[in-house]
Amino acid sequence: MMPFPWRRALRAKAVWFSLLVMLALGTVAILAPSLAPHDPYRWVAGQASLPPSWVQGRSISGQGEFPLGTDRFGRDVLSRLIYGTRTALLLGLTAVPLAALIGVLAGLIAGYAGGRLDSAIMLLSDTLQCLPGVMFLVMVVLIFRHFLSPTWIHGLIALVVGFAAVSWVGLARLIRANILQIKSQLFVEAAISVGASPRRILARHLLPNVVHVILVWMINSIPAVILLEALLGYIGVGVTGAVDGGEFTVVSWGGMFFGGRSAMSRNPLMLIIPSLCILLISMSFILLADFLNGITRQEGE
Amino acid sequence: MLAGMLRSLIRRLLRVIVVLLAATLLVFLLMHAIPGSPWDNYSDSPRALQGLTIDKSVQLELEHRFGLDLPVWRQFTRYVFGDFDRDGDFFCGVVCGNLGPSTQIRGRSVQDILFEPPEGKTFWESRFGYSIRLVLFGSLIAVGLGIPLGIISAAKPKSLLSRSISVGLAALISIPNFVLGLLAIIVLASWLGLIKVLPDWDIPSHWIVPAAVLAVMPMAGIARVTQASLLNVMHADYVRTAHGKGLAPVRVMLVHVLRNALVPIVTFLGPALMEMFTGLLIVENLYAFPGFGREYWEAVLKLDYPMIMGVTLIFATGMLLVNVLTDVLCELLDPRIRAIKLPGAP
Repeated sequence: MMPFPWRRALRAKAVWFSLLVMLALGTVAILAPSLAPHDPYRWVAGQASLPPSWVQGRSISGQGEFPLGTDRFGRDVLSRLIYGTRTALLLGLTAVPLAALIGVLAGLIAGYAGGRLDSAIMLLSDTLQCLPGVMFLVMVVLIFRHFLSPTWIHGLIALVVGFAAVSWVGLARLIRANILQIKSQLFVEAAISVGASPRRILARHLLPNVVHVILVWMINSIPAVILLEALLGYIGVGVTGAVDGGEFTVVSWGGMFFGGRSAMSRNPLMLIIPSLCILLISMSFILLADFLNGITRQEGE
Repeated sequence: MLAGMLRSLIRRLLRVIVVLLAATLLVFLLMHAIPGSPWDNYSDSPRALQGLTIDKSVQLELEHRFGLDLPVWRQFTRYVFGDFDRDGDFFCGVVCGNLGPSTQIRGRSVQDILFEPPEGKTFWESRFGYSIRLVLFGSLIAVGLGIPLGIISAAKPKSLLSRSISVGLAALISIPNFVLGLLAIIVLASWLGLIKVLPDWDIPSHWIVPAAVLAVMPMAGIARVTQASLLNVMHADYVRTAHGKGLAPVRVMLVHVLRNALVPIVTFLGPALMEMFTGLLIVENLYAFPGFGREYWEAVLKLDYPMIMGVTLIFATGMLLVNVLTDVLCELLDPRIRAIKLPGAP
């Protein structure tokens, strides 16, 4: 295996773009309380439905105090956007590793053990894969939300569990296919013949050879989670749980879409701004994954 | 050879049945684990606005009629195999194609809602027919644009054109499709006036925008997979030989490279195109499209059990058949896969 080509990475524009966006996102998420100009939860009836500050000369003109305007409860859109990065980041950093853990374990076991265990895992993954993904996820979220009290962290937990339950399948299949290929190679046979334990073979010989698969999958999945949260929020089943009136307990981009849907004709920016954020983050992750894929491809040659 | 293929096809179909049964059981259990009952008031129903709730005796009667007072495993067998109704007559379940009565749209059965066209129209005018047509149209766009885009960007990977295609594809994957759909309405309908806000679905040109919105994500995915799998093949020895023989680059690309990169592309196509059925619920809501995506969404939120099961079953069957078709296609495309799978091979 070649060492990681750091120098090429530093010269690639895509990598710089990705790292900058991720760094900015992390900073905004951590410093949210001091960056946000207003309290994202506070309702001020007198300033409801303000347009962005550069819109002037209409019936209601924007105020400099609220750069991106306010929603129909008078909450500052910019502050909500800033606090929303926390939700997005938290979601990406918990749901994806959980799904990856399940997927890697299932894939390793299925690929290495074979036989009955393999067919059982494959049957389960076939079953999950033939169901419509979003609907399955919505069902899991609806079930979980009932058992937990409607706070934002519980909304997040429901979404994390739902995402992990749906998306481990893809990774498990990828890992299994890779393991099957690696298992037939000589060095694994050699390890078996000198009497290495299955655990050692899995951890020392098989796992390191699929690390790049896991990594690329995880990088690709983070934008998928954020997109999914946005979709569920738009429908009204997201972390915000708009059905129970819990819309007001958590700030997420999905929730902003839900609010923006009704404000579309008045202020389309309420939809466009969060989707621009998603676009930026998602693109940075995808371009990074593309770069890593390019490296593995060149190693293969 | 032929007998072997037939045998493997039969084995696959048996597996499809097993997976279908498992999926039915899973969704059935999940669905009944969702708290609430189909008779609850939902915020948009007129009864809820008047503050009316269902009468206790009426609820018991309804539950008895739909079999919801039975234990869950009895409900499952009732749904799958059938049961005796209150007159003692036996009715057949899903195995006979009876998807059961809808609990929300009372008086109509699920297959009636999905497949029955309006008076004097063909099958294509039913809810299912409308959705199928939209998905087929979207698939045409996705495949017709995605594969050529992938080929173009793989042909000269370092050029400006291919780089901008790559970045553009990454951007298209990153935009939520409901935002795209809303923007299409705002820009094309409100600002430019190119399309009607309320389209007439008898005019084919009105289908373009919803189908395009539906097709964007799969199109970008297909293009990216095409590009990646072409790049994987492009440096193989036989491609260099083909170039060395002095063949035209276009011929090398289409005959030598594409032919060998087809298997991953075909494998990706099935799930990517089926994914459009999930996108339907967004697009149909946005454009007031008379398909079944909206019904399905309502059914999940309002716990219309037979409706959830019916649409899920149809989707799962479609997905599994597409998978079998994909496997067969891959075997036809690549003799190496055939050699591994067939019994009796060394």
